Amino acid sequence: MSVQIHFVPDNLTVRVNVDESILQAAARAGIILRGACGGAGTCGRCGVTLRSGSVLVDNELYRGDEAPTVLSCRAYPTSDVVVEIPPASRLSEHQVLLDSQEQGRLEAGDERPVSPARPLYQEATVGLTVPDCDNAGDDLARLRRGLEPLAGTPDFTVATGLLRDLPGVLRAADWKPRCGIAFGFEPPRLVYAGTGSDTPCYGVAVDVGTTTVVVQLANLNTGSVVGTRGSYNRQAAFGDDVISRIIYATEESNGREHLRLKVLETINALLEELLAETGTTEQSVRACSCAGNPTMVHLLLGVDPSYIRLEPYTPAANEWPILTASEVGLRIFGEAPVYCLPGVGSYVGGDISGGLAFSGAAFADGVTLFVDIGTNGEIVLGNREWLIGCACSAGPAFEGAGVTCGMRATEGAVEQVAVSAGGFEVLLKAIGGTRPAGICGSGLIAGLSALQRAGVIDRSGRFSPGLDTPRLRSGANGCEFVLAWGSESGTGRDLALTNHDLQNLLRAKAAVFAGIQTLLRSVGLGKDDIEQVLIAGGFGLHINVRDAVAIGMLPDLPPERFRFVGNSSLGGARLALLSALDRAVIEETARRVTYMELDETTPFMDEFMAAMFLPHTDIGLFPSVTEQE
Amino acid sequence: MGVELVQERWKGKLYALTIGREPYQVVAGGDSTLPFLDLDGGSYTRPVSALTVFDRRPENWPDTLTGAWGDVLDNPVQWARKCVELGADAVALKLVSAHPEQGDRSPQECAATVKAVAEAVDQPLIVLGCAVNEKDAAVLPVVSEALNGYNCLIGQATSENYKTVVAGCLAHGHSVIATSPLDINLAKQLNILMTDMNLPPDRIAMDLSIGPLGYGIEYAYSIIERKRTGALLGDRMLAMPVICLVGEEAWKVKEAQRADDLEWGADEPRGILWEAVTAVALAQAGASIFVFYHPEALRQFNTQIDALMGK
Repeated sequence: MSVQIHFVPDNLTVRVNVDESILQAAARAGIILRGACGGAGTCGRCGVTLRSGSVLVDNELYRGDEAPTVLSCRAYPTSDVVVEIPPASRLSEHQVLLDSQEQGRLEAGDERPVSPARPLYQEATVGLTVPDCDNAGDDLARLRRGLEPLAGTPDFTVATGLLRDLPGVLRAADWKPRCGIAFGFEPPRLVYAGTGSDTPCYGVAVDVGTTTVVVQLANLNTGSVVGTRGSYNRQAAFGDDVISRIIYATEESNGREHLRLKVLETINALLEELLAETGTTEQSVRACSCAGNPTMVHLLLGVDPSYIRLEPYTPAANEWPILTASEVGLRIFGEAPVYCLPGVGSYVGGDISGGLAFSGAAFADGVTLFVDIGTNGEIVLGNREWLIGCACSAGPAFEGAGVTCGMRATEGAVEQVAVSAGGFEVLLKAIGGTRPAGICGSGLIAGLSALQRAGVIDRSGRFSPGLDTPRLRSGANGCEFVLAWGSESGTGRDLALTNHDLQNLLRAKAAVFAGIQTLLRSVGLGKDDIEQVLIAGGFGLHINVRDAVAIGMLPDLPPERFRFVGNSSLGGARLALLSALDRAVIEETARRVTYMELDETTPFMDEFMAAMFLPHTDIGLFPSVTEQE
Repeated sequence: MGVELVQERWKGKLYALTIGREPYQVVAGGDSTLPFLDLDGGSYTRPVSALTVFDRRPENWPDTLTGAWGDVLDNPVQWARKCVELGADAVALKLVSAHPEQGDRSPQECAATVKAVAEAVDQPLIVLGCAVNEKDAAVLPVVSEALNGYNCLIGQATSENYKTVVAGCLAHGHSVIATSPLDINLAKQLNILMTDMNLPPDRIAMDLSIGPLGYGIEYAYSIIERKRTGALLGDRMLAMPVICLVGEEAWKVKEAQRADDLEWGADEPRGILWEAVTAVALAQAGASIFVFYHPEALRQFNTQIDALMGK
């Protein structure tokens, strides 16, 4: 039996089977709902209003005439229904015009050109000796000799099917065929032979984040970036963090395939936009490299991720075999090589190996702390001689998804916050100078710091009672502080930080700092031994170090020791796309990192509890913050 | 040949918490060494022992406890007097009937009870609320006001209600019991939050939460010990003396509650021993204030302390 679900205000209708939840149906209709718990029905964030028809929720029937709010992940329609999706349940871009260049700049971070040196795919026009009666060897042997300089070996393999039409192609090209070699396969593989002229070909670098996916198109001949696009990972409706995704993949029927399709949809949709915008064709995109944490790569390739979360925490692979785009399901040239950057351990993946190479942390002389702040916060300490790394689940707060009015670091996102003592007045600065539409990671860090300085919250992150400001009020989810009134905001709605938001933020920053402390202690170093701190992450380039130190997220070191490297996962993916040498460096780096599993070490939990305070329970670790007070 | 004793010197010292009125004041903490190790030259302060009084007849108490107190169980004032007669350094009045489900008495009614008890005994008063955050936040400030001038120790303040509890105690000159759930960091954080409100650090007693003998006492032991060494190593935000509600915890366990069981021997001494042994162990971990239910447990505890202190 199948029924229809009509979603308002989106005005979209989908036909579903009765075993499909409203959450899944919405995702199919392209509406992404919040679902932190991965459909377990425990987080209560994917609520929708039933307007007509009836649904079954945990064996209880709800009817539309009473307009009940039901959790979409647990609700199964029993008749045709009309469902209204409240804004709060929606995980979506705020409806603010995005200037793509600005957006690209923020998400890509450093876009220094990389001069291509044996990129994943390389094309050339090859002049072959014309066969005659004295020299009548076979076509492929002729091609092997001709392509040896490009491929580096005459013993390259040939993509399935290519040989079928090869004789005709060579002759049509008058023995000057255009040939494309895919590197990364061992040995390299001939994947294209045509009559084409010297047209540019492109490669795509993908940062597959738990919360955010960014796709970047680069010219494989020049190494220059053509365009960048980012959006929320459509998997996010099925769990906030990697653990809930793994659970969804393992325990829901067809969950793994479902998640694979969701992330593919995300990447393909971004690609489509990017290609349209730059006037590039699908077929001219000839290579892809993907960087992501291990869970994300497992899910992208459809590999069973269940053992990542079970002791002794083993991924299916750290070094992934190279696949073709058609095998993976990417909508680019079908034979294009898809290279996934090698990972380190169960929760530290190719995004980090790539980031360490891209940021230079892997070659540093002095002790370097590399911190990639995302939903999965990864921390690596070391230099060119040794590296030790760990991952700690920070939650999606810094990517703007774990808080009520959070958004990604795009135009309209608040990135700077000042609050007057007592919380009466608030000054906000949004990216692009527009009206604030939401708040991104860097804004949250600034906000937490400002609220504490203003005495609006205490050092445990709780609101101080009895403040004489209309901004502190009791909302639907407890106490909240209004940063911008509806009349000032870009969305027309009040922008507020709730108690729950603050606790999420506190947990996120505590996880990061506890990870740093645990690593430092494991190698017997103190914060002052750190010569430089490299901060990666797509949460905005404008994070204020003083604020990040004031809330106790980053170690209290002089500001000149900090450097922001932007989205280094994407940077690493681009390096891998464009250069064989960099691929070797990234592979070597991944093998060099000593991986530390935090779950097994009780000191982490102790460090975490100590860090659940502003700036920290041990104030001695933050002398500069004490001085300011 | 003589043996030279290795002496351990600590740079830190516990705050000395003084409660009550002259000449019946008692001091908890102030120590500058590990428990019972004043041979190092540091000073060790004898633990303060208190007996508990409920503001109404306790429910579900085993015979061993009710038998020890007899008629006074219905009268907090007489009960408090009897505590003093039986040797308690201080009286701990627990406002059970403020609990929303056990009488829901108003702050004013509670204040009247504590005032009557305070006037009836000379010894210092410890006041314990009903352990419901919101209700204690309403009751304890009113109680603090009623006890103005008595220099009491009032609690339990938690991370959820400390602001109102501390404000009341600050205004009326009392000290505060800071209660945290068996985590050294959370305990320290609460101390910082309270001192951030300008509560002097020598007016805080830390209730780290305890498990009695057989029910997690090792966790309580190690956290108290860790707090003690932290303080002696110089961490001022861990330097407040520790209070242990041993009676409340020990008498919850089935070994203390259960009527005669031949295999376990008679219950008369069993519950008492459970309470006393729990207290002695935690005194050795480094706690400073002990709140008992059974007067015999208090007596045995003090006998042990005498022995440990070489008296």
